[in-house]
Amino acid sequence: MKDSLAAPASRSPGAALKSRAAHRWKGWRRDKLLYLMILPGFLYFVAFKYLPMGGLIIAFKDYQPFLGLGGSPWVGLKHFERLFAEPTFLMLLRNTIVLFLMDVLLVFPLPILFALLLNEARARRFRNAVQTLLYLPHFMSWVIIVSICYVFLSVDGGVVNEALASVGLPRIDFLTSPEWLRFMYIGQIIWKELGWSTIIFIAAISAVDPQLYEAADMDGASRLRKMWHVTLPAIRPVIITLLILKIGHTLDLGFEHMYLLLNSINREVAEIFDTYIYTAGLKNGQLSYSTTIGLFKGLVGLALVMLANRLAKKMGEDGVY
Amino acid sequence: METKRMKQAGLTLLGCALLLSACSGNGAGGQAEGKGSAGANAGAAGTGGAAEPAEPVSITWLNVLHTASPPTGTVVKKIEEATNTKLSFSWIPDASKEERINTSLASGSLADIVTLTILDNSSVRSALKSGMFWEVGPYLDEFPNLKGISADTRKSASIEGKLYGVPLQKALARNGVIIRKDWLDKLGLPLPKTTDELLQAAKAFTEQDPDGNGMDDTTGFTDRSDLVYGAFKTLGSYFGTPNVWKVENGKATPEFETEGYLNTMNYMKQLYDGGYINQDFAVTAKTDQQQKLAQGKAGIYVGALFDSKNLLNMAKGVQDGMELAMVNDITAPGQPRALWSANNGIGGLLAFPRSEVKDEAELKRVLKFVDDLMSEDIYALTTYGIEGVHYSVDADKAATITNQDLWQQEVQPLAGSRPKDYDYAIHDADKLKQEADRLIAENADYAVLNPFYSLESQTWSTQGSELQKIITDATYKFILGKIDEAQFKAEVEKWRKSGGQSIIEEYEAAYKQAGH
Repeated sequence: MKDSLAAPASRSPGAALKSRAAHRWKGWRRDKLLYLMILPGFLYFVAFKYLPMGGLIIAFKDYQPFLGLGGSPWVGLKHFERLFAEPTFLMLLRNTIVLFLMDVLLVFPLPILFALLLNEARARRFRNAVQTLLYLPHFMSWVIIVSICYVFLSVDGGVVNEALASVGLPRIDFLTSPEWLRFMYIGQIIWKELGWSTIIFIAAISAVDPQLYEAADMDGASRLRKMWHVTLPAIRPVIITLLILKIGHTLDLGFEHMYLLLNSINREVAEIFDTYIYTAGLKNGQLSYSTTIGLFKGLVGLALVMLANRLAKKMGEDGVY
Repeated sequence: METKRMKQAGLTLLGCALLLSACSGNGAGGQAEGKGSAGANAGAAGTGGAAEPAEPVSITWLNVLHTASPPTGTVVKKIEEATNTKLSFSWIPDASKEERINTSLASGSLADIVTLTILDNSSVRSALKSGMFWEVGPYLDEFPNLKGISADTRKSASIEGKLYGVPLQKALARNGVIIRKDWLDKLGLPLPKTTDELLQAAKAFTEQDPDGNGMDDTTGFTDRSDLVYGAFKTLGSYFGTPNVWKVENGKATPEFETEGYLNTMNYMKQLYDGGYINQDFAVTAKTDQQQKLAQGKAGIYVGALFDSKNLLNMAKGVQDGMELAMVNDITAPGQPRALWSANNGIGGLLAFPRSEVKDEAELKRVLKFVDDLMSEDIYALTTYGIEGVHYSVDADKAATITNQDLWQQEVQPLAGSRPKDYDYAIHDADKLKQEADRLIAENADYAVLNPFYSLESQTWSTQGSELQKIITDATYKFILGKIDEAQFKAEVEKWRKSGGQSIIEEYEAAYKQAGH
């Protein structure tokens, strides 16, 4: 693009600029309706995503509500220093990363596997029924899901513990054991989101060119072979895109779910950035400090997305941008 | 009907204004928006001054709601008539009060009256100290009911000697033990008077099938995940634990470094290990805790004594044979009778922001309203409702709720807004409630106060509740047997290192400065 514009050496640089501007203006005029259609979305992003970012400056101030944004004193990196110096920081980072890794390793592959299985199911009706049943839990709120688990897993008369006791096994205090917290957390995510995340992969699989399967059939490929050599490579870009997006949310595990599971006994493994921001920031009124944590979270997320995107491009995929 | 619609429209508008102010993001913008509705009130109150204006005065109130839904209908209207006001409430659910109050303070979306129940919260404290609210100390004596607020109460509710609102007066110490009398009788046990007897009763309730159904399905205690308002702190008082702080010769000791605290933890551990307490108490919510008693799964409840009436009501139709007894004088061996006082009897402040209540005349009008709220008539309205509709009353001024459902809907939500909730002529006809009131009044003589309640520690107000988590977590872990005494002490040491030491020093300095 640049080369082609600069190519006619006879023109002076000024003329080239001028013609480029004219060209652009012409483009604007020609596509004015399209631009008009973008406008609402553009305004939305400016108003709700970019303007509020201005508030991030309170991470560098000692924000006092009644002094206002302008009146609060600047404190430089004080809050960042506090964040990195506090012993809770390492705990938060560790808990968040462990949960994220479990999320990527245990939760992420499941919908892919499941979509592949469903795709192999012959009876259309069966397939649809299973799919619908599986994505129903997605529409339940975390409060409901955690409450159901609470009722099931309670030591005092919970079904699971009653069953364990009836066959002579010791009762397990799932709710107040740090050891069980992570599995409970991951298990609940799987139960709630498995069906829903499957949808995208099923859509991707159904877009695979049938001719590829036919060709594989001609070569005498078995079902497993077709899955491995046709389906999976075909949906690879989708998998990678979703993985990159997921990595962007590394430190963003979701406040509500964990807050409901958190208690005094499992805090050492359950406290994550999101819950800490709520208790330290909103409940305790340390607005600047919690903004600092939020900013840190966002920056780490951004860095990870860029890294993952670069890796994806290195591996010959498209990436997300 | 018409007025109701008007009110709804008004509330919607107010909601929009709040929303707008919340969206505008910074303090200054928020304040301008918030004033929209209150500005009109300012005019009305201003012209009237302290004298009763003919027109009802509009008063907005950012209030805390302790029930599931706000009050509906008639009672609020009666209050408006009696006080010649037009009230509009913004309700904040009790469960989310910290974040809601903090965001309201931060965005300046306040009302003429703001109920502040968490005075040790750092942002509430700094808002009060910043002069965001009127200092009412000098005005109280101008009003007949407000005048009656004792000097002690005023002092406890003050911050650095200044009173930034009308204190909500609560009974000094209202906790005790509620126990199944019928179970005790069945097993031939006396009403427990010592911690040992209480333990024996809990053991018997667990092991000797007090409900006689032949199944091992009962426990002694039912407790919840709350070390303060649950059983722990009250049991702690029996073992001689100070209330948050102990101060001796100018030296401050936090409660969890005392012998009493350790004994209490060991006692709770004994209960837990023996199975004499619901094994999930560390994650049990208050309603579940109460249900356990009401459904006959447990026989001992430690909490506010006036809960007994409510517990018996909950048990109707489920455990009809239930008889409850209340005990307020349990002691541990060698310990004097004592009971901690929740916030030294201060339930919070009704504060009046300068941004909404513009001048002295307006302040006096709002204070007059609060003064009216404390009158016998309004107390009856906010406690029992409207005579003949919600309750009936006999010659002795003993009131009986006649329409429980309507009362729960229209009256109960207002109960938390009463500036004072005891010492009125009208009283509950319910024997259990009367007994509870009598025991609570008796408790006042043995109340243990927090010596530092009205003092200031910078570290405590900014990091206190974060630090407290270290202790709370360690206490639960000790009771559940996940850590031992040495590890508990190590956690306390961690508390000291992370800021506890500064808290102690700051309080000691403030204590000295206050003239001790």
